[in-house]
Amino acid sequence: MKKAVRDQWSGMLFALPFMIIWGVFTLWPVISGFIISLHNWDPLRGSEFIGFGNYKYLFSSQRFWNAFVNTFEFALIMIPMTLILALLFAFYLYFSKGKAKAFVESALFFPYLLNVSIISLIWKWLFDPDFGLITESLKMIGITNPPQFLNNPIWVIPAIALASSWWLMGYRMTIFRAALESQPVEIVEAATIDGANKRQIMFKILFPLIRPQFLFATVLTVISGFDVLGQVMIMTEGGPGRSSEVLALLLYKEAFSYFRMGRAAAIGFILFVIIFIFTLIALRFMGKDVQQ
Amino acid sequence: MCKIFGKSILFGGETMRFKKLLLVSLLMLMLSFSFAAEKTTLYYTTLFHSGDAQAMEKIVQRINQESDDIFVVLVQGAWENYYAQLINQVVAGNAPQVGVVHSNMFPSMRDALTPLNASSAGNLLEKSGFKREDFLTDVWDSSTFDDLHYGIPLDTHMWAMWYNKDIFVKAGLDPDKPPTNAEELKYAAEKIKDAGYYAVHFAEDGVARKLMRAWYILYWQQGGELFDENYSKATFNNEKGIKALQYLVDSVQKWGWNTKGTDGFKQFASGQLGILFAGNWYYYSAEEAKINYGVAKVPTIFDKPATWGNSHNLVIPKQAANNPQMYEQAIELIRRITDLSYMWGMFGGHIPAYNNSRTSSELLNAPVWEKSLNVFSQMAEEGYLHYPPNHVKAAELEDAIQVYVQQAYNGTITPSEALKRAEAECNRILSEN
Repeated sequence: MKKAVRDQWSGMLFALPFMIIWGVFTLWPVISGFIISLHNWDPLRGSEFIGFGNYKYLFSSQRFWNAFVNTFEFALIMIPMTLILALLFAFYLYFSKGKAKAFVESALFFPYLLNVSIISLIWKWLFDPDFGLITESLKMIGITNPPQFLNNPIWVIPAIALASSWWLMGYRMTIFRAALESQPVEIVEAATIDGANKRQIMFKILFPLIRPQFLFATVLTVISGFDVLGQVMIMTEGGPGRSSEVLALLLYKEAFSYFRMGRAAAIGFILFVIIFIFTLIALRFMGKDVQQ
Repeated sequence: MCKIFGKSILFGGETMRFKKLLLVSLLMLMLSFSFAAEKTTLYYTTLFHSGDAQAMEKIVQRINQESDDIFVVLVQGAWENYYAQLINQVVAGNAPQVGVVHSNMFPSMRDALTPLNASSAGNLLEKSGFKREDFLTDVWDSSTFDDLHYGIPLDTHMWAMWYNKDIFVKAGLDPDKPPTNAEELKYAAEKIKDAGYYAVHFAEDGVARKLMRAWYILYWQQGGELFDENYSKATFNNEKGIKALQYLVDSVQKWGWNTKGTDGFKQFASGQLGILFAGNWYYYSAEEAKINYGVAKVPTIFDKPATWGNSHNLVIPKQAANNPQMYEQAIELIRRITDLSYMWGMFGGHIPAYNNSRTSSELLNAPVWEKSLNVFSQMAEEGYLHYPPNHVKAAELEDAIQVYVQQAYNGTITPSEALKRAEAECNRILSEN
């Protein structure tokens, strides 16, 4: 046997344990979910194959499109907000020489250690129209009738996105911080000597250098953005009305409240396709230079 | 030296004592295992959480202490997924021997449950001596379908009116005479509002499904029905439904008794709310908040008394192995839980459905009875209780109603528009396969 072929086989053997686990716990559930989505799935009374009936139903359902739009609205606010804030804080900490640096970094990372339920309860309290810190603060600065952020169709999604960014930003910031610290200081020094200001150093020199890490953080945040569930469930239950009902919440209700597993699986598969497409887009636009 | 030697002796003595202790402990452990080996392990899952879960844990602990034939493993919580999990467990052939089902969930769940009067082990009701007349009969009947009986009622729970006696005094109202009808409620609410407090919150924490329950109460008080008998169409988009919703909307938008989007639980616990419509489970929160409160029947705002309520029932999910003994042990466990259900009232704040438990001296002498449960019990016996829709699509139908009720309450749409949209969505859901 030629060495190249032997190497190929040995490589595959090394990868085999992972491939088996990945196949059983990732690939099969995706395939199985798709199969379920083609059925009127009722394991108690008997399932019925209906082809793309669940998809047809969803694409003609006003409620589905409402959840679809809400999901995109949330993702379009939360994803850039999280990444931009994380990047700015990472730059701030990179250039900061103050003694409070470690404290600030810990404080920013701390929310990520908390469970989504705790984050949601904290922000639900912050936005409470009677007792909320944010509401009271707005009243103190002269806004006599502040909006009920979680009970207002316009404000509800931005409010949940803000809470989510606060939660997720710390981890992204740590990724960027680690990437920045690993860059040779000579680059920054040389740029400074050449007369570059901080803004130019940040966005023309350092940001291109940490693009692989930014890509990784973007992919993670895209998934979190489109998969949002816990925050919405605890903070608003999808309300007011259905103003914050996102796809994952609709999926949850279809599965666990209405016992329509086929329809829920179809929503899950649509979500999978959306996330897959957006991840590919991120890789296409940001990963191109990274690979070179 | 001697001292050191002495210490060594003492240490040696402690070692000996420790070894003896270890031996005795091991012996006891082996003995307990041998006893446990004779016991049959039964799995009992519930959807209870917080105070309810603790109350059920007390009951099961007592059963385990007193039983020499069964050992109960209690698994609680995860109420959001409970029913879907129970179905999955039955499908997987790994169902618990005893579970809990709400009365309105029987139509959705009955295919996963054992009919107690027609099980593979025979008529379990007869074998264990359960009789309809020993329970609140409305609750008992809620688990009977086509002459098949699926559950033993554990309790009934419902909404009543909680009011802050201190606020009543400050507003110039008699704290021993809470409002009983629309006029008295309006008078009290205006007085409380004038005294600088939130007057009334009709819906606990104010989330959409609670607002819907408040609307149900007002609609049922006019004799309205949500759906026709066969659940072929919605029947709430009418004058009575609109009148009920208009009343609820006016309470915040016109009369200023409260503000939309607020949490009545928090307002009441912080002493800012005069009257709160809430369930019997609020007892422990009210006690913890140290509010000087009273509990009264839901005022008859329209024509006849009614309140929203539901019940927990003990059930036997379908078992994989057709083992008659397992069914007999499961019904025996249900019997023991039922016998101790006065504890469910004492520690969980619910009204036991079993007459002997509801009238037991332990419960009647408990503080919870005097402060709240006696009122709930009277309401149960006087026929106030109305169940939410009991249909396989109940969750979906209620979802369709609640979103529009909330929008009307918030002032986004009119009550008539809300009911028109809810009706259209309910009818669409009912017409689907």
